[in-house]
Amino acid sequence: MRLLIETIGFGIFSGSLISLGAVGFTVQFGISNVLNVAYGAFITLAAYLGYIFVNDAHFSLWPTIAVVAAIVGVLSATFNRVLTRPLARRGGSFVAVLVATVWSGITLQYIIVSIASPSTFTYAVPNGTTVNIGYFVLTSTQLIVIGGAAALMLLFHGLLTRTQLGQAMRATAVNPVVARSCGIRIDRVTDVAWLISGMLCGATGVVLAATTSTFDASLGTTFLIYMIAAAVLGGVGQPYGAMIGGLVVGVSTQLTGAYLSPAYEDVAAFVILVLMLLAWPRGLFGSAASAAKRLAG
Amino acid sequence: MAGPPSARTRQREPRPHPSPYVRTERPISPFAYYATIILVYIGTDLIAAWGLNLEFGVTGIPNLAFIVFVASGAYTYAVLTVGPTSQFGGAETYIIGGRVPAFVAIVAAVVVSGAFGALIGLTGLRRLRLDYQALTLLIISFVATGVVGANNSIFNGLDGLSLIPNPLEFVAESQRAWVYVGVVAVLCIVTLFLVRRLTDGPLGRALRAVRDDEDAATAIGKSVLGLRLLVQGIGGALAGLSGALLAGFIGGWSPSAWGYLETLALLTAIIIGGRGSNRGVVVGTVLLLGAFLQGVQYLPAIGGRPDLIFDFGWIIVGGLTIAFLFMRPQGIFPERRPRYAVGESDAGGGASRRFGLLRGSGTPNRTSALSADARTNEAASSGVAMDGGRDDEVVERDRVALAGVVATRARTEQAASYADILVVEAISRSYGGVRAVDSASFTVPKGSIVGLIGPNGAGKSTALGIISGFIRPDAGSVTFAGVDVTRLAAHRRARRGLVRTFQLTREFGKLTLLENLLVAAREHRGESLFGALAGRRYWGAEEELHLERARSLLELFGVTHQANKLAANLSGGQKRMLEMMRALMLDPQLLLLDEPMAGLSTAVADRVEDACIGLRESGVAVLLVEHELAAVERLCSNVVVMAQGNVLVEGEMANLRRSKLVQEAYFVG
Repeated sequence: MRLLIETIGFGIFSGSLISLGAVGFTVQFGISNVLNVAYGAFITLAAYLGYIFVNDAHFSLWPTIAVVAAIVGVLSATFNRVLTRPLARRGGSFVAVLVATVWSGITLQYIIVSIASPSTFTYAVPNGTTVNIGYFVLTSTQLIVIGGAAALMLLFHGLLTRTQLGQAMRATAVNPVVARSCGIRIDRVTDVAWLISGMLCGATGVVLAATTSTFDASLGTTFLIYMIAAAVLGGVGQPYGAMIGGLVVGVSTQLTGAYLSPAYEDVAAFVILVLMLLAWPRGLFGSAASAAKRLAG
Repeated sequence: MAGPPSARTRQREPRPHPSPYVRTERPISPFAYYATIILVYIGTDLIAAWGLNLEFGVTGIPNLAFIVFVASGAYTYAVLTVGPTSQFGGAETYIIGGRVPAFVAIVAAVVVSGAFGALIGLTGLRRLRLDYQALTLLIISFVATGVVGANNSIFNGLDGLSLIPNPLEFVAESQRAWVYVGVVAVLCIVTLFLVRRLTDGPLGRALRAVRDDEDAATAIGKSVLGLRLLVQGIGGALAGLSGALLAGFIGGWSPSAWGYLETLALLTAIIIGGRGSNRGVVVGTVLLLGAFLQGVQYLPAIGGRPDLIFDFGWIIVGGLTIAFLFMRPQGIFPERRPRYAVGESDAGGGASRRFGLLRGSGTPNRTSALSADARTNEAASSGVAMDGGRDDEVVERDRVALAGVVATRARTEQAASYADILVVEAISRSYGGVRAVDSASFTVPKGSIVGLIGPNGAGKSTALGIISGFIRPDAGSVTFAGVDVTRLAAHRRARRGLVRTFQLTREFGKLTLLENLLVAAREHRGESLFGALAGRRYWGAEEELHLERARSLLELFGVTHQANKLAANLSGGQKRMLEMMRALMLDPQLLLLDEPMAGLSTAVADRVEDACIGLRESGVAVLLVEHELAAVERLCSNVVVMAQGNVLVEGEMANLRRSKLVQEAYFVG
């Protein structure tokens, strides 16, 4: 019983992180209809940039998150501007764009490795004191992360529902042609959407690296599977779905790791992903319209 | 770390390389050592690349897990030949461990991987959008490496298997490597021969049709599932062969050598060399391996970090791939479509032979608001001859020509017992809460033209989708030519003569206009696996017959001079003609036309009308969904009006025009 609660607790923490990343990923799909596999490499990039700030420049963790988020946000928006949007506009098929993002991710990963060397790294960040809440055992850092992620999700929800930008983003995601006819500057809106999702990506990367004992350049690639599973579970393109999906994936994979074997955590995420795609591609929050986007292309 | 083999380093471990001190008592020269290794790698990579090109380049299946099939072939060969686990004293654990003769083991590897490939093709993945399929397969590949590496009972974990016997053990040590190169070369030639037979003839055309537009391929009677399974089976088999040859040569097998990056490298070779082109694939594979194995090999170690070379290799390949996707997605040697001789028609479009049935048969012309000059210009630009005095002979000749090309089936069916070629009974279909079609019923009598009209959102397209088999109804039945086809697959309905066109033209963009017609031929012996392998001698005569039919159709529709043009480059009106001609190639008994006149100029729309009349006179029935009510009135004997999913009323157009019910439906919607 104790193990179960502890595992669930850790699953909530891991799930919060997955949610954070998954929301960014899903927003990019929602707005640009692109499965951005390079997202994983951006997570890795964020982790390494954070390392430079924390270990070499001796920043503390929280300002690092802000700075790296900003950097990765700008890089993401640039990536869309320079690569995925022009390629799609030139008539690139969905597969062509996907392959381009996959290779971008690989290239970025190897650039990082060539500069940083293939060894593993650790953030020089204290783990924080352990907190016991009933049977839950979490460190203070992890609790802050859970709280922070929740706060960011609330902020994001506020952005989507209460601001004009948020409305414009939602409109563009549903129907860019009509959105443009309504006077929405979809190019601008898309840039901002990629900026924000990039920032989420950056924050996720830094926190992920800070809360893992060691990491190397494959950090983002493995984490990507969890984020994609979460996004698909919630309905690709649906931010709220990604939030819930992240928690579900986090808890299920931790349970699998605890009761079966840690080697099967990846597999659990993958199984969730494939089962959803085969049986329920629309996902928790997906509408029939978004399912059409996905299935019919 | 020794030479070129370790230049293929991926994530962690280098690919296992032949170990000179285990194998050879008498070392061969370093040159021979490196040369044979490179040649064997190039050869096995070529076999794999042709397999992936067959799946992806020709048929459009984005199999990003291809390396898993290569690995399965290697593994099968290994466990069948390596002998029992006891020889390692428990140091290695795996299954089977037979001592099967190498040749048998290789064949087994091919069969197992082929079956595995087809199996993956059976999963529901195929219904997803292509990039989802690609992504899922990529993740499968990634996870597989992890799972296999963690498994110590079947796969011996990350260490993999070693001391796999070389299939050429009976050859002397000093010559073995070169003989192996020879064997691989022969197998390459055999593979190329096989792959060309599959991709160059009618089967290749059908596969490319599936690639270009799956729904349109279904609409012309191709079994998309069957073709995909075939291709994935053969692709898997070639992957298995490649893997087995490599395992036999290297003597080792480890999961980290078969990572997802390998598939991506092959994919890049195909993209760079030329997607869908076998020759292009050779160029891409040799170049990529040349750049990798050779170029990377001779770079000096930078800053004391030997791994940098490999990192740069991947960075360069990544950059190249993206550059090609942007600037030259068709590759260095793009796929080339065959050009056919189409006869004497000149660049003016053979103005003397045009569908003049309508004008000659006494039915009133469409009155155009345009002036005579404008009409002439418009007609001339679409290649129609403005012939005031139309020869009845010419009209009759056109009609006979059309009847000769199509409607052989319709004529023989004329004596059949049923009065209605199509009976639609109470079909319903909902999407979410919306009733797209609500208990609609109507019939189409043999050899007649029935109109289906109604405001937007009335359910007409959904009804057509249900009738043609693309949409499954929630309730109701569809009877065609006296047979209940409600549960019959869409492609089978097309083969039986229930043929549809699409509202937005769906041409096979990367095939020529003529090929678009040829691929729609109902029966072609060259399209079966056996027929494709048997070669031109087997299906050549039949191809000529279909060519004749296609040529006649091209002439009738006045587009002969466009025959060898890629369909994607045709004008909108020509694409519409293409859809119509393609449907006619199938020898239909009932043609479902979905807004065929939409967006066409008057002259081209006239041609479509003429064709409809010609078809009716040949005994082919037509169900015409149209908004052009004047054309509907001219063509249709009976008109069905739908609104909000129901059939509102039916009757003759003239009466319907006066009906309050219909007027309200159109205005209120």
